[in-house]
Amino acid sequence: MLKVEGVSFRYAGGEEPVLRQLSIDVPAGGIFGLLGPNGAGKTTLISILAGQLRAEGSVTVDGTPLEELRRREPASLGLVPQEFAFYPMLTCVENLRFFGAVQGLGGARLRERVDSVANFARIVNVMPRRAGELSGGLRRRLNLAIGLLTEPRILLLDEPTVGVDPQSRSFLLDSIRALAGEGRTLLYTSHYMEEVEAICDHVAIIDAGRVLRQGALAELLRDDAAVVPVRHNSRSLEQLFMHLTSRSLRD
Amino acid sequence: MLPLLALWVKEWLALSRDVHGLAVLFVMPAVFIVIMSLALSDVFRDGSTRQVSFAVVGADAARLVDGLSGEGFKATPSPASESAAREMVRKGSLALVLVVPDGFGADPSVKLKVLADPTLPPVQIATFLQRLQGATLGVKSSSAPLTLEVVGNPGGGKPSSVQQNVPAWLIFGMFFVVLPISALFIIERRDGTLARLVSQRVPFPMLLAGKVGPFFVINLAQAVLMLAAGRFLVPWLGGESLALPARWDLLAAVAACTSLAAIGWGLLVAVGSRTLEQATVIGGVGNILAAALGGIMVPRFVMPESMQAWAGLSPMAWALDAFHAVILRQGSAADIAAPCAKLLALAAALLAAAFWLHQRRRAS
Repeated sequence: MLKVEGVSFRYAGGEEPVLRQLSIDVPAGGIFGLLGPNGAGKTTLISILAGQLRAEGSVTVDGTPLEELRRREPASLGLVPQEFAFYPMLTCVENLRFFGAVQGLGGARLRERVDSVANFARIVNVMPRRAGELSGGLRRRLNLAIGLLTEPRILLLDEPTVGVDPQSRSFLLDSIRALAGEGRTLLYTSHYMEEVEAICDHVAIIDAGRVLRQGALAELLRDDAAVVPVRHNSRSLEQLFMHLTSRSLRD
Repeated sequence: MLPLLALWVKEWLALSRDVHGLAVLFVMPAVFIVIMSLALSDVFRDGSTRQVSFAVVGADAARLVDGLSGEGFKATPSPASESAAREMVRKGSLALVLVVPDGFGADPSVKLKVLADPTLPPVQIATFLQRLQGATLGVKSSSAPLTLEVVGNPGGGKPSSVQQNVPAWLIFGMFFVVLPISALFIIERRDGTLARLVSQRVPFPMLLAGKVGPFFVINLAQAVLMLAAGRFLVPWLGGESLALPARWDLLAAVAACTSLAAIGWGLLVAVGSRTLEQATVIGGVGNILAAALGGIMVPRFVMPESMQAWAGLSPMAWALDAFHAVILRQGSAADIAAPCAKLLALAAALLAAAFWLHQRRRAS
C-alpha cells in the first residue's frame, strides 16, 4: 500500500499552503483516482511522490519510506506527467533510448524494453519520426511509453488523456486498465469524471489541499446517495464531486 | 557512466538539429573576426596610442631616460638585467625596454636594442624609436644603429590586427554558448522533461555534467575553426595571416579553461532564468557588457588607464590575456597559470551557484 500521511506543502512566496495535512491510502494493485478542481493540489502531490518537491509529512510503500524505496529500487516508481515531457527534436526511438539509458537500461535489455513499450503504446510505426511532429494522441502515447520503460510497480499518471481525440482516449484508457491488470498500482489524476468512473477502483476527492472524501468508488457513491441521488444515465461521480467542491469557478 | 553518456548523446542530437543555435556559435564569431580584422587593420598599423611604460637597461641609462619620457611614454625603474627586462616584457608588465650595451657612445658599431611588447600598436613602437633617435643625438653626433625585437611575437615583427581580433572574437563566440545552453535547459524545464529526469532519480549534478561535455566539444571546435579563419580566411580576403603559436598544448589549455567558464555562466543563466526571454536578455547583454569591458570590442590598449583597471574584472579579459600570452608572447605554462586559474575558479563558482539555486528552488 502507498500511504500518504499528513503531507503539507507551500510554494515559496505562496500565501496559502497547497497541501494541508493531506493523507490518502492507495491500495496495492488497481487504479486510484485523484480528483479535484484546478488548484486543488493534485499535480503538487504527484510532484512530491515523484521526488520533484520536498514536503512535510510521510510517504511510505508497505511501510518503507518512499524515498528509501526509490534509493534501493530507482525503477520502482514511474511518472507520466501532464506535459509532453520528452524532446521534440529527437525521434521517438531516440527519446525512448535516452530515457531508458538515463535510468540505467542498456544493451539488449534497453532494446527489448523500447520494443515492448513501443508495441504496448502502438507507436512502432512512428518510431523514426521526430516527437515534435506527432499528433496529440501519438504524443500522449509516447509520453505513456516512456513512463513504462522500467516496468515500475507504482505508476503516477497526471491527466494522461488531456487534449486527445475519443479514439486515442479510448486506447489510452484500455492501456491503463491493462497495466493495472498486471498488478501495478496506478495513481491517476483527471478532470474527466466519466474516465475515473470507468477505470478507477478507489478515489480521493481533494480541494484546497485537503481530502474531502476517499474510499472505494462504489462505497462512496452508495454512502453519498442521500445527498447525491443516483439516477439512470446520470454522472453520479460528477454530481458528488460538484456537491463536495461547490459550483463556484476556480482559477 | 551510461546515464552521462546518454545525456551527452541527447544534448548532441538536440544541438545538431538546432541550425540557428549553431549559426550563432560558429558563423557569428567568424564574421566578426573577418570584419574586425579587416576594418581595424589600419588602426593597428597607424592608430591610437596609450601611455606606456618603458625602462632603460645598461650604461648611460640615466642620460637617455629624460629624452625618452613624455608624450605617451612613462619611465619606470630599470630592471636588474637584460634578461630580467626581457622576462617583464614577455609577461606584459613592461611595454618597452631600451638595452644600452657597454661602450655605447665610444664605439660606433655598438647597437642599441629595443625590446617591445607584441600587443603595442606598431605606431607607438615607431614613435618610441623616433624619440630614441633624437635622444641618442644628445649622446652621439649621429643617430645610433639599433635593432628592434618584439618579444615573443611568432611573426618576429609587428603584431597584426588579426592577432588581436581572432582570440578576442573567439572568446566572445565561446561565451555565447549561454544561449543554446539556457534555451535547451529552459525548454526542458517548461516541458516537464527536467522534472521527469529528476523523478527518474537522475542526479542534478549529472544533468549539469550532461551539458558540460557536448558544449565543451562545441567550444573547442569553435577555437579550431576561428584560428583557421584567422590563418586562411582573413588573408584570402586581403588581411594579414594569423601567426600560430608553437605551444598548441597551452592554447588548448586556455581554450578549455575559457570554455568551462563560459559553460558555467550558461548553466547559471539557464537555472536562474524563468523564461527564454529572460535568459536571452541576461545571457546576451551580460556577454556584450563583459566583451565591451574586457577588451574584446575595444582593445584595452586604447582605453584610458582607469578603464584598463576596470577591464581586469571581466572574465573575457582574463581569457584574452591567456590567449595573448600564448599567441603573441609565446609564453610558458607559468604565463597562463594566473588567468587560467581565475577562469577555472569562476567556472567552479558558477556551477556551484547553479546547483545551489536549483536546490533552493526544489526545496520551495
